Amino acid sequence: MAKFAALIVAATLLSLLLVALIGIQVLGCKADPPSRSETAIMNWIKHRLLVRGKDDKNPLNDSVADGKEAFSHYCVACHGLDGQNTGVPFADRMAPPVPSLAGKDVQSYTDGQLKWIIDYGIWPSGMPGSKGMLSKDEIWSIVTFLRHLPPAGSAGSPEMYSH
Amino acid sequence: MNLISRPTDRGRQARVIKIERILYPKGLSMEAKAAMKLICTGILFSTLLPVLTAIAQAAPRRIEVTAKRFEFSPSEITLKRGEPVVLIIKSADVPHGVRFRELGVEVRTGRGEASEAAFTPAKAGTFVGQCSVFCGAGHGKMKLILHIVD
Repeated sequence: MAKFAALIVAATLLSLLLVALIGIQVLGCKADPPSRSETAIMNWIKHRLLVRGKDDKNPLNDSVADGKEAFSHYCVACHGLDGQNTGVPFADRMAPPVPSLAGKDVQSYTDGQLKWIIDYGIWPSGMPGSKGMLSKDEIWSIVTFLRHLPPAGSAGSPEMYSH
Repeated sequence: MNLISRPTDRGRQARVIKIERILYPKGLSMEAKAAMKLICTGILFSTLLPVLTAIAQAAPRRIEVTAKRFEFSPSEITLKRGEPVVLIIKSADVPHGVRFRELGVEVRTGRGEASEAAFTPAKAGTFVGQCSVFCGAGHGKMKLILHIVD
């Protein structure tokens, strides 16, 4: 019964999403900030339905330094050195905006889900998949780094935006 | 003890004198003696040469691997457990590296350069080394397989 109810809810949400998508078609494709409800719906769908790998466990411990280095290859271009968008000029000009990786929405994913997101990216956000571009160990070490992010603003701005 | 060693000492002294006579016969000039010494040293070194070569061969085995976006060549190497090796990573393009996390071995090299690391494989098995310097879109797939056999 509970399963059936969940299915109904999911179906309703998906049709709402469809309506929203049609709405986007009608309104155009400006990168306006999403509404609160849109964000809430998408968050729920991502956490519960779309992002897999929930039960995968991080095989690496003590890899914060490795993760920091792997993160610095190109993640910093959008997420900043601190994972909290510090110094990223376009972070809130995207739709959806670049989230703070220290925020609840991201931190409430399991380690396995974070690995899945880094592997495959999130459509239709700007988040790309990195599987094959980074090694498995590097991706797991980034997951470890995400759990030990430095305080916002403490790591400076990505070099590319300072000249 | 002294009684026993005395004849031996005497014998050794006699031998030394005999060798000196052969090497430096009486009546030779200082120059000739010097030349003799030089020739003797030459002979000594030329006899030692094969021995020195053998010692050099017993030095760690050197394995050269070329790193090029996005593969290592050769991509698989086999080593013997307990046998010291020097792993050389030679870049054919951008900076690369290889890291065997389980073995605690890492070599990093610059653009077009070669770097090396010496180690002795302590455990048998198959280990996967990953490129440890970000080198582009295929960086995560750049692997060097290491077989360590008994």
